[in-house]
Amino acid sequence: MKQIALYGKGGIGKSTTSANLSAALSGRGISVMQIGCDPKRDSTRMLMQGRFIPTVMDLVRERGNEGVSLSDVVFTGYNGVRCVEAGGPEPGVGCAGRGIIATFQLLEKFGALEGDVIVYDVLGDVVCGGFAMPMREGYAQEIYLVTSGELMSLYAANNICKAVQRLSSRVKSKCRLAGVICNAKGQPREEELVTEFARRVNSAMVKYIPRDHIVQEAEVNRQTVIEYRPDSVQADHYRSLAERIMENTRLTIPTPLEIDELESLAREFF
Amino acid sequence: MSLNPLPVNSSRLGGCTLTGAISVTSHIRDTVTVVHGPKGCSHHNASLLHAICLDDDRMVMPSLISTALGESEIIFGGEEALRSTIRHAAGRDVSAIFVLSTCIVDTIGDDTCWICAEEYGVPVIPIPTAGFLGGSFQDGMNNALIALAGIAEPCPATGGINLIGEMNLEYEVRENSAEISRLLSLLGLNVNLHFVHDTTFSQLSLLGAARLNILRSPSLVPVGEVLKEQFGTPYIPSFPHGLSGTLSFIRTVAGACGIDGQEAVSGECVRQEEMIAGFSDLSNKPVSLDHTLPCVKEIPATEELAAVLDRVEEIQAAGELAARLRLPVSSDGNGISLPVGSAIGTAGTRRMLHRWRRAIHA
Repeated sequence: MKQIALYGKGGIGKSTTSANLSAALSGRGISVMQIGCDPKRDSTRMLMQGRFIPTVMDLVRERGNEGVSLSDVVFTGYNGVRCVEAGGPEPGVGCAGRGIIATFQLLEKFGALEGDVIVYDVLGDVVCGGFAMPMREGYAQEIYLVTSGELMSLYAANNICKAVQRLSSRVKSKCRLAGVICNAKGQPREEELVTEFARRVNSAMVKYIPRDHIVQEAEVNRQTVIEYRPDSVQADHYRSLAERIMENTRLTIPTPLEIDELESLAREFF
Repeated sequence: MSLNPLPVNSSRLGGCTLTGAISVTSHIRDTVTVVHGPKGCSHHNASLLHAICLDDDRMVMPSLISTALGESEIIFGGEEALRSTIRHAAGRDVSAIFVLSTCIVDTIGDDTCWICAEEYGVPVIPIPTAGFLGGSFQDGMNNALIALAGIAEPCPATGGINLIGEMNLEYEVRENSAEISRLLSLLGLNVNLHFVHDTTFSQLSLLGAARLNILRSPSLVPVGEVLKEQFGTPYIPSFPHGLSGTLSFIRTVAGACGIDGQEAVSGECVRQEEMIAGFSDLSNKPVSLDHTLPCVKEIPATEELAAVLDRVEEIQAAGELAARLRLPVSSDGNGISLPVGSAIGTAGTRRMLHRWRRAIHA
């Protein structure tokens, strides 16, 4: 079983990329599960015809741990992709990080973490230990950074490299950096910049996904691009991403950059 | 064998902020203390208080309620659990409710003060006690006393004396309390309020009525300062240690109250002589005195310094006592090892001498 996680700055397109990746993987006849690890709970929406599915934490809150079963939390979406949303507390109260930990413990208890590929779609920044949970305990073994060529986005990706580096140094850790996905904003020399960034953090860019209006069009229609326009060029990009991820064997311990280094890199390609 | 038979190096100044505050609030009889946190935070405190009550021959269960937070409350926030626990407590016949926070609720950011500000029909007083923010046992105690001072209004003077911050968890708390009352009575003074030892909520309104505050130990100086500012009451920073410490305490109190204390001092002096004479069987035995100081950080915090000074006074008082009894004190650790604890007043000194006698005749 391949367990991959997508991390990156908030708003960079992790959920869109994850949902299209899951949809593309399912098209290869692969059993896929996507787990949204964000209290906003909108990771799997495009796989569920725009439906916000009940979250694990909502169900636990209403019924307690004992009142929740596997079938309550796993929903089958587009082309058989199994969808789970961890959920979390209302904004501004409680501890969302602990919510992620509790969700993983429950999914583990249910034996829900099975199939050919699990895609974890995680909240923007690794703000606390809870959001590093998918990287620990041998869950997500392959970490993909989603970034554009914008400095703030690279900065967030670099920060996540720090978390991966720290976690991968643990003896039993299976967590490694698997690559960088460039979800382009459309700025000049963006592909070159992200390729160089990936090289400098001891990884590689696995796929450049150009900006295309069709992504927004598909979302307005509550679908992934794969479902909405399977014949489009953009759908080909996501299928190509799926193929490269399935073939990728280059797993590394990242070497995060100092902030000065990162800034001068961004300047070089400006 | 323990090389450190006395627990001074375990530094009770560290410890749990929550326990410090509970040692105060649990001594206000007609109130309830709500501990906002997991069950365990109140359980070990309840056990401790219960054991001390039993030791004191009082079969009173401490009035503690826990919000008993579980993982679900940690994830979704514990404010609702706090609200319903306060409502439950308010339904009992209580004069006030104290709400003490714990490490975990301040970690997840529960707004304890906001929940306490709602209407429950009885006063609800929040006391911040999350220990991980750097507080100690002493801070918990001081925070609780300062919070209580905050609800007391100015009131007409009674001419009595307040005892501030009696150590309700020390096993001689009652004896020490009685001894200070006795010393005050020598000057014709009485205790206005035990702030706080075995009192009621309404009695706390007498806080501002005293002519003088006597602190149990110098670690309570921040509380003494707050009360001085709020009510203009002067304070003496410590209960007295040992023989001459007791005599000078009587002089200091007399001076602070504008009383002639000479007769009281002479009378106490005679009492001390008679008491010492009763222990003449101990004379001329070579002894060593335990003179360990509390462990403190490289740069000690204010309350740690205060505790060291307090301990130094105890050791000095023991040294004086040994000299009066003509006990040769060896500095190289030879001789019978005698315990040096807090000997409050003449009575506390006598109790320590009984312990010395047991050690010497063992």
